[in-house]
Amino acid sequence: MEWRKTGKKLIAALLPPAFWLGAWQLCAFLVDLHVRGRGNELLLPYPATVLSALVRLAGTPAFWGTVLATLGRILAGMVLGTALGGLLAALTFLSPWADRLLSPAIRVIQATPVVSFILLILLWTGRDRVPVVISALMVLPVIWGNLSRGLGETDPQLLEMARAYRFSAFQTVKLIYLPSLRPYFLSAVTTAMGLAWKSGVAAEVLCLPRPSVGTQIYNAKLYLEVPDLFAWTVVVVALSLVLERLLRALLRSRKGGANHE
Amino acid sequence: MSEIRLDHVSFRYGPKEILSDFSLTLPGSGVTVLRGPSGCGKTTLLRLLAGLEYPASGRIAGVSPRETAFLFQENRLLPWRTVEQHLTDVLPRDRRREAEGWLALTELTGEERSYPAALSGGMERRLALARCLALGGTLYLLDEPFAGVDPQRAARIMEGLKRLSVPVLLTSHESNILSLAHRVVDLEGPPLRLLCERKEP
Repeated sequence: MEWRKTGKKLIAALLPPAFWLGAWQLCAFLVDLHVRGRGNELLLPYPATVLSALVRLAGTPAFWGTVLATLGRILAGMVLGTALGGLLAALTFLSPWADRLLSPAIRVIQATPVVSFILLILLWTGRDRVPVVISALMVLPVIWGNLSRGLGETDPQLLEMARAYRFSAFQTVKLIYLPSLRPYFLSAVTTAMGLAWKSGVAAEVLCLPRPSVGTQIYNAKLYLEVPDLFAWTVVVVALSLVLERLLRALLRSRKGGANHE
Repeated sequence: MSEIRLDHVSFRYGPKEILSDFSLTLPGSGVTVLRGPSGCGKTTLLRLLAGLEYPASGRIAGVSPRETAFLFQENRLLPWRTVEQHLTDVLPRDRRREAEGWLALTELTGEERSYPAALSGGMERRLALARCLALGGTLYLLDEPFAGVDPQRAARIMEGLKRLSVPVLLTSHESNILSLAHRVVDLEGPPLRLLCERKEP
């Protein structure tokens, strides 16, 4: 009975990726058929080709340095954007004037095409800093928006209780606002993580800091090394998903030990 | 403590008049039960005494709102705090040890480390009551403290309330609670009206 259950779970976990890999394989085969062996690799390489490209890249020492450099930039942008977003959420919540002044500006940031920012910031700062700033700029409005909504939706009954029971401002923040914000923060941070990767790597492609995954993607495009392009993309997707999982687990586990005294 | 007096107090929620030129004198000691149909204005009366609402006109004397402990009709517990933390959160650092006594009075001993989600409805009500008692002050205002609490237990807790040195004003419908009170005030409304007052039934 028990092994049957695990077998079922295994199938449920493996079947969807297997299906999509199969679909990829089939499409690559059709492309191959269409160009009659004159290099389907240029258009859509087989999964096996991408895997071998990935293995070849991962074998070089430069690969890990490149991945770490990009990871560092994205994380720095993430931390910066989250901190600023949180700060601005607190500010716009506390002061109506800050809200009137800052809310439209943050909305403008949210609506501005990311490439406009990338090119502008490239002109203003060094190419190494652009991906960090871009990630932070993409993360900030998401964090700010979610936290602002969360602050506004904090249970008024609990806030009235805090007032009637003579909670200090510190207690009200620690015991009511912060725990109430947790689900908003969790959803904001996971959404923001995906955005940070997408925009950060796009900034790298346009600004070519060294070493960086974005520069590698740009080179792969330049030299038509499509399997490499796929391989680097796989790396970015994998990192983004792994980090999102990690973050989720981290924030969840802190809820389990709710007795922060 | 001196008696609590409401002189010609008026209060309205939107167009609805809850208190209209209402006057009442309540003793400054013992346990007084306010009885009346739902929606007659009992809760508003307690909220006015607790300083959570302000009268449109009239005057309230003998109470300082900053020294009252008000039990809300809803439990308003914090899902992320344990039973014990609910009490220590309202107690000053040097009085944290009192938590034990209040938990004993409300018969919650042994549940110190439980979270509200693990408590039954009656236990949650008793926790809300314990927190309010721990907060303390010069007047307890308890809005339906025994809602969902079984009658025998409610009676035992009522005896505990009668031993307190601080006056207690509570609302209830239960006849066994009424029979244990030092005083019963019958009300009707809205607008709130005094029907009769009985001492030591």
